[in-house]
Amino acid sequence: MANSLLELDKVQKDYRIRSFGRVIRTTKALDKLSLKVEKGQIFGFLGPNGAGKTTTIKCITGILKSDSGSIKIEGENIEDNSFENKNKIGFLPEQIGLYGNLNCIETLAFYAGFYDLDAETIEERSLELLKVLGLEKDSKRNVGEFSLGMKKRLALAIALLHKPQILILDEPTSGLDPRGVKALRSVLRDLNEHQNLTILLSSHVLSEVQEICTHVGIINDGKLIRQESIQKIREKVRKTAIKLSLRVNNYDKENNNEITKKKGISIIEVNDLGKHQQIILTLKEKQIPWVTNKLVSEGVQIFSIEPQDTSLEDVFMTETGGDSND
Amino acid sequence: MISRRLNQWNNLKTWQPLIVAISLVMVVAILHKAHWELTTETSPLETWKGKTITKGDNETNINFPEDIGDSITFKGILMTSPKFEVYNNDSIVLGEYSKDEALVYDEDLYGKTIINLSGMRILVNGDLSGKFFESEVITVKAYVIENTSYYTENEQSITLNREGWEAMPEDIHLASDTDYYFFTAELIILAIGSYYSFSRIQNLRTQLRFAKHLALFEFGRGLKAPRMIVLGSFFTIFIVGIGWLLGDLQNSTSVFAVTSGNDGILRLSYFSFFVVSLAAIAVSVDTIHKERQSNTLNMLLARPINRETIVLGKALGLTMVVGVPAFIAQVLGLYFMTKAGEMPTIGSMITFLLFGQVMIFTMVTFQLCLAISAKNGADVVIYGLGAWLLFSVVWTLLVYAVSFAIGIDVSAQNFENDPEYQAIASRLALLNPGFVYQMAVGLFTHRTISIDFEGVPGWLLLLSLVLWPLICLRIATWLFKREMRG
Repeated sequence: MANSLLELDKVQKDYRIRSFGRVIRTTKALDKLSLKVEKGQIFGFLGPNGAGKTTTIKCITGILKSDSGSIKIEGENIEDNSFENKNKIGFLPEQIGLYGNLNCIETLAFYAGFYDLDAETIEERSLELLKVLGLEKDSKRNVGEFSLGMKKRLALAIALLHKPQILILDEPTSGLDPRGVKALRSVLRDLNEHQNLTILLSSHVLSEVQEICTHVGIINDGKLIRQESIQKIREKVRKTAIKLSLRVNNYDKENNNEITKKKGISIIEVNDLGKHQQIILTLKEKQIPWVTNKLVSEGVQIFSIEPQDTSLEDVFMTETGGDSND
Repeated sequence: MISRRLNQWNNLKTWQPLIVAISLVMVVAILHKAHWELTTETSPLETWKGKTITKGDNETNINFPEDIGDSITFKGILMTSPKFEVYNNDSIVLGEYSKDEALVYDEDLYGKTIINLSGMRILVNGDLSGKFFESEVITVKAYVIENTSYYTENEQSITLNREGWEAMPEDIHLASDTDYYFFTAELIILAIGSYYSFSRIQNLRTQLRFAKHLALFEFGRGLKAPRMIVLGSFFTIFIVGIGWLLGDLQNSTSVFAVTSGNDGILRLSYFSFFVVSLAAIAVSVDTIHKERQSNTLNMLLARPINRETIVLGKALGLTMVVGVPAFIAQVLGLYFMTKAGEMPTIGSMITFLLFGQVMIFTMVTFQLCLAISAKNGADVVIYGLGAWLLFSVVWTLLVYAVSFAIGIDVSAQNFENDPEYQAIASRLALLNPGFVYQMAVGLFTHRTISIDFEGVPGWLLLLSLVLWPLICLRIATWLFKREMRG
């Protein structure tokens, strides 16, 4: 049996809206969520807006306290020894907050003060990380002058400063330009391959997850609905769903509504090609005749039907039955 | 049953030494009480009730079972403030017999005080006003004396052969040396128990190191903040100026004259609170809220630092931001005050500076509670300003309102000297950290301040001084931890 580094078991979390100290409304954020991350994995955490990705990460990092269930690191309940267990986690939040009047070295020294590191180690690790993350030349500049990409890199350096066992990243590429995304991807892959660092990342950029992650967990309405290796997920979806591109005419919103009423059919996009329209949809093989008959009976002209490659986005759409745009 | 209790005891591993210490303190307290019972008379009322009053045709005799010249050391609570029990030509009608006090008013009583010790009346040969206050536990060594006086009743002249209890002012004490030994033993036991309990808290040393790290960071950042530079300069000039003025007013005959160096330091403590509390609130007004908005809080919360440690570290750091410049300003204020006027007692100067830091810590933690619970930036500022206005400006009006509501005539002349008003004002003052600070300085100055702590014993005042910051810190921590529950 593989050794779980991080294990969530039936974690439940509600958000409470208070007025004058009294709870007036409760919203379920996590509904008995269970997931396992094994050592050495790059685990992609996928889900639509409000699915509970950030809440899960906040519960793991101790920013929020779960209402019930257990969160274990190396088999030990995280709350039993939160000091030791938090030392095993490196965290990069989605919204980076750094003190603008400090420079890189001062920032790293400040956060390093919360770990058992001596001054010499802090200096050595800081310089090493700044070099790896390309911030060496800017080490004396105030963080307030940094671009978002530079801030993300510095926050990543903070997360790695104490040599964690698992690195947790919440939407790490949001706000980064393509070059920044590529650089970050390369750093993460390098950390995983050369330092055997386990990584858990949530992202709404599905292609990114597909490219970098070894395993994926899909969360919807606070529940983990699928957790497998990327390869297995793709294979399973291929068996159950097919992606088609239809070139049609006279297609309108009503047709769209009629088709999506049927369980298992998702319209991914509708593009106007000028003379024609392109509909990209996922469906089960046996549903193809029903769709074509339905469209034709409603006056839609079909010019071509072409199969498409199934991407992780299609898996995501099929599993969550919703919109992937965050 | 026994094994269940043992399990419960074992689960309390951290707090076992403190529980043992508290139990020992209770044992010492019982021994202390037993010592009181053996060495003093702790039921003065019983002695007072033991008197016999016999009335003849033209004479009344008041006798006690004790012999003339016998002495007893009584321990009891002052039921009324001695300052309202001093005889003078306004307070008594000469030749009148007082049943309650069991004596006849005459001119010999002028300047003497009849104290009410747990219901017993003892005549003290001196003025005790300002020396002891209502509700204080005191020890009085009193003697049985006899004298004869005359009064008129139903147009008949009556001779009063009176035995009564009298004491000299120097025979009245708050606590004896033995009491202090007991108190010290209790404190030492409690300190040892606390030390061992705290040392059992997981990672306490590490968390305290983190608190220090965060405090020093806040201190360095806060000192450079523009608002602190402005406020720091403002309160330094203000305190130094007021210090000089209070020194100068000691040589004045105006209505604002300051009577002594001790009077000066008490007034300086009020003005210090007035400006320093504003700085403490202004510096900590948005500390947590701003960090929440700028996302630096989440970066901090993901570290292995407890939420309690974050609140403690921030509170200590912000206290230093205001406390260090305030300390310098207060020292300068004292210097200029003593240069122009009298030197106050050393004790009062030490407490003025030391309790000043406690007061700043209290105001910072109080504001932290408001800052954590506020939903937006505007709320935080309004709450902070509201708190400052309440404690430093509006408080007196609030006291008037409460007094009026309970039936005290606040429109009467000199109503401030009304015992009922003073009792309510001093009790309410315990709810204001500014007044607690001033009263605590007063306690170590000459135990008299503009608002006398009538009905408020010294120990309660000191307890209030300690509890204010601790309770604020606890509430701030609780509110901050509540966020975690979402």
